[in-house]
Amino acid sequence: MEPLIDDPALTGKPLSSEPATPSKTSPNTAKGKSPTRIALSRLRRDKVAMVSLGVFLFFVFVAIFAPLLAKLEGQDPTTFHIDLVDDNGYPTIGITGDHWFGIEPRLGRDLFARWVYGARPSLIVAGLVTVITTIIGVTVGLIAGFAGGWVDRVLSWIIDFVLSLPYLLFAIAVPAVLLSIFVGTAEDADAQQVARVRFFSLILVLSVFGWASLARLIRGEVLSLREREFIQAARVLGVPTHKVLFKELLPNLVGPIIVSSSIALPTYIVTEAGLTFLGVGLVEPTPSWGLTIATAVTYYRAHPVFLWVPVIGITILVLALSLLGDAIRDAFDPRTRR
Amino acid sequence: MLFYILRRLASAISVVIVTLIVSFALFFLAPTDPAGVICGTRCTPERIEAIERSLDLDKPAVAQIGLYMKGIVAGRTYTTAGGVVTECPAPCLGYSYTLGQPVTKMLADALPVTLSIVLGGAIVYFGVGVFTGTLAAKRRGSTMDKVTVGTSLLVNSVPYFVVALLVALYATVFPPAQYTPLLTNPWAWASGLLAAWMTLGLTNAASYTRYSRASMIETLGQDYIRTARSKGISERRVVYRHGVRAGLTPVVTILGLDVAFQLTNAIFTESIFGLPGLGLLSIRAFNQYDLPVLMGTVLLGSVVLVLMNLVVDIVYTFLDPRVRLG
Repeated sequence: MEPLIDDPALTGKPLSSEPATPSKTSPNTAKGKSPTRIALSRLRRDKVAMVSLGVFLFFVFVAIFAPLLAKLEGQDPTTFHIDLVDDNGYPTIGITGDHWFGIEPRLGRDLFARWVYGARPSLIVAGLVTVITTIIGVTVGLIAGFAGGWVDRVLSWIIDFVLSLPYLLFAIAVPAVLLSIFVGTAEDADAQQVARVRFFSLILVLSVFGWASLARLIRGEVLSLREREFIQAARVLGVPTHKVLFKELLPNLVGPIIVSSSIALPTYIVTEAGLTFLGVGLVEPTPSWGLTIATAVTYYRAHPVFLWVPVIGITILVLALSLLGDAIRDAFDPRTRR
Repeated sequence: MLFYILRRLASAISVVIVTLIVSFALFFLAPTDPAGVICGTRCTPERIEAIERSLDLDKPAVAQIGLYMKGIVAGRTYTTAGGVVTECPAPCLGYSYTLGQPVTKMLADALPVTLSIVLGGAIVYFGVGVFTGTLAAKRRGSTMDKVTVGTSLLVNSVPYFVVALLVALYATVFPPAQYTPLLTNPWAWASGLLAAWMTLGLTNAASYTRYSRASMIETLGQDYIRTARSKGISERRVVYRHGVRAGLTPVVTILGLDVAFQLTNAIFTESIFGLPGLGLLSIRAFNQYDLPVLMGTVLLGSVVLVLMNLVVDIVYTFLDPRVRLG
């Protein structure tokens, strides 16, 4: 879950790239630096971006050390504290030293523990989907743009096809089908099993529908790069196609790839939480912010902390990631040079 | 021109047909056991077999898709176990497993709700967005411009379903959300949808402010605007007559695509405000494993998306003569 921009593999690659790159950089400010280097140094000077990155890393930290944080509080996300809930289901305690955010109405589970564990599915689903869609999108885009001919026509049609599907409706429909295949429609289905199928079908659906826009973007970039001299030279030298694709073309696409995945990450977090909130994403017993919000709606007047804790969590996380994404886009965009 | 439209139409139809085949395969050919769903918990194998026969589920896959397509074009008949023949007129999408109603009727009931929400919201965000965006472009670099851009950035970054939820829970200034058909009572229609319109409208207005600001700044920097100013035409006339007209063309295109997108993505608005549109219908169908209804919403959704894309493409070629047809 490290942020993409700090990945040394990505930032290092462009250095080994071809002579065509420096033409993009401005000669008087940064001689001999790759565009990615320039973008990163601009990003480092951007205060909003650095604060957002800090907030994002904080949530990653919370997600990774969720068991530790819960242990620090002395609670876990699954124990029912029925003794602390009155006959109507309302908690008899507020925020105490034992329960830092109080407890859930009705079941009496600890809210702080559920909150720290709730950061996990958001980040895992969104992170995995971002990685999967980026890999598929880049590969398909590279092949379509570089191969041309009927391969390109077929792949482009598939890209257009995927982009013209009503994806939220599919996101609701596909898990229903997968559930009835793998678990059956029986009422007494194993909750763990259902939760697992729901988890993977969510990742599957978001991945199947997410790669196409990146593939289209990469295809366009490749179409223009493919005619450049360094690619022609590599082909004349007899460099094998896969090396041309991954050693010559790919380093030139680092900018658009980083920008699009940093913008994609928060949208997947929102989609996961949103679908879960609607009851078509993750299900109990997985602790998830979307689930907590959905349950908390019933108690929003009597027990506002229950609703606001996950709401604030997801809002701050998504806000930070969006601002970071915008900053990364600006940093990579030569037209917004400061 | 005609050739271009025909070619786009052909590709649109190919997309819809492939969607139909793919989703049909997904819903009915996968081992999803629809007969078990209809039959319920206390069920005999004979009864399941009878149900499967009445739904033509015992026929081979290609024949099933053929029957489904024939149902859409020409209507079809269902013969139940007792020999009762039910006529399902075109466009027939089958019957809901759990409610027994024709899917076509359920979709026809839900579509006006979604259309009302999305179109009403579109009027709000387009109006507000273009107005504030033009103002911000006119006073570029002023405090007002910076505040507008900053606010729109923030509003855009907050998850939509969270905003809608908080409005639904806490904004008691709006009349309670409910759907009344426009023709039954226009006033009840408008007041019941007001909360949904405002939520959808004001959150999306943020992006439209940014689009129209960027587009207007570009337009106001053009030579013909300078010429108009130099002729001594009043600033108001320059901005609103000469500028807005040219500056809004790209924004209108985005509007068309957005409306299409939202028609299939009004799920959050509908479920949070409890408005019985397409999204709520699909969620209900999901919870009851009502496959024909799910299939119907997916199919209708893709037809709407493809059609709107087609319309936007064609309209754009009229609006902007620079678009090359090829």
